[in-house]
Amino acid sequence: MRKFLLPLLLLLLFISESIFIELFPKGLLDEARIIVPRFLMITLLFLTIYGPKKYGIIYSFIFGLLFDVVYTEIIGIYLFIFPLVSYIVSKLMKILQTNIVMVSLVTIIGVILLEMGVYEMNFLIHQTSMDFSSFVSLRLIPTVIFNLVITCIVAYPLKKHFENLAASLDV
Amino acid sequence: MPQFFLNKRLIILLVSIIILVALIGFSLKEREKLTWPEQFVKDTIGLVQTAVSRPTHYVAGFFDNLKDLQNTYTENKELKKRLDELARLESDVQMLEKENAELREILDKKESLSDFEPIQATVVGRNPDRWNELLTINKGTKDGIEQDMPVLTANGLIGKVKSTSQLTSTVQLLSSMDPTNRISAEIQADGESYFGLIEGYDKDKGLLLLKGIPYDAKIKKGQNVVSSGMGGVFPKNLPIGKVVDVTPAEYGLTQTAFVKPGANFYDIEHVMVVKRSMVKPEPEDMIDDEEEEL
Repeated sequence: MRKFLLPLLLLLLFISESIFIELFPKGLLDEARIIVPRFLMITLLFLTIYGPKKYGIIYSFIFGLLFDVVYTEIIGIYLFIFPLVSYIVSKLMKILQTNIVMVSLVTIIGVILLEMGVYEMNFLIHQTSMDFSSFVSLRLIPTVIFNLVITCIVAYPLKKHFENLAASLDV
Repeated sequence: MPQFFLNKRLIILLVSIIILVALIGFSLKEREKLTWPEQFVKDTIGLVQTAVSRPTHYVAGFFDNLKDLQNTYTENKELKKRLDELARLESDVQMLEKENAELREILDKKESLSDFEPIQATVVGRNPDRWNELLTINKGTKDGIEQDMPVLTANGLIGKVKSTSQLTSTVQLLSSMDPTNRISAEIQADGESYFGLIEGYDKDKGLLLLKGIPYDAKIKKGQNVVSSGMGGVFPKNLPIGKVVDVTPAEYGLTQTAFVKPGANFYDIEHVMVVKRSMVKPEPEDMIDDEEEEL
């Protein structure tokens, strides 16, 4: 039973991103600004840092592919960037100390890397014509602030959960 | 040199970049159909999405209802006023419809470009990153949905079907940037109509661009824009929006109108996929010699 808990949690987060976008009250922000929820990425990064690292990267790969197939219909972007960000973060954590504030900051850096990566890819394949400065002000800043708040809320429970998971796998 | 090739990570990186480029290239080319693994994954996730999104929408709807209760009184007053007008309008419509049917009978013209069969569907998912605006709806090929069919809400056109699988399909909104996202449209000026193509979307202003209108067309603010039915897939007279502004296009040969879409692209829950009753002309028919006789 415990074996299925992690994929199930990730799947639920995967779906919750799209439901969040549908239900988010649009009056809260002016129409041009866009918040992108990155619940899945945040959780995957916590998994990479606290849980078994291999799991983090493998799940990033699987859910990257799922994201591409189900949501964007352009296979390759998230498939490539999710594992890459997980890998960079795991390398970064080798230098830094693993306390919860540091981990949250690194997670946000991961989200920024993800956003920029996805923007650059979409720009390269002409899916968007947005220039970099309006990307930063319209998408990056609202997204980062929103995900920072979410990270602060979920950091402690996620840390506990993944530490338990890592401990149970070691035994 | 051998050391360079033994560097495992570098090789993994290079191979994955090659795969990435190949996959993106594969998915960007215009595809008639999704591959079956994609369809399978979409259907499976679609089922889970439907199961999860129904209850959440229900809860969200409850809070919306509470909010609505607050201004029920003023709304009710306003609506009662409209009701009288509606009764008159209804009788007019009935009379006109009857007349239209009779006239058609005389002309022996059974089908019209504006006939269609609607298929009701519910939105179960939306692309969270919103770079390309895609929605997932809970009806697929099993319910008769095909690629390129127009999708409407109660207020107007929102987009077209981009791809289908057995149980779900993906809708591309008019607001997404895609050069193939073109719709033949018509401006209803008094007594006359001007044709153009809906091509592109101004993200900052939230307006659609209607290009290729003749330079001498006299277009005014507030005129209705509807689909023209000339594209082959879309039926005639689907509401799109209202003209807000007109500017001469590059070189001054044509005009570009800015159209405020009637439908809201952010708040979409129930949609209608439209199947045109009239047969779609095959490209071969159109280059046939017989065409000139018609």
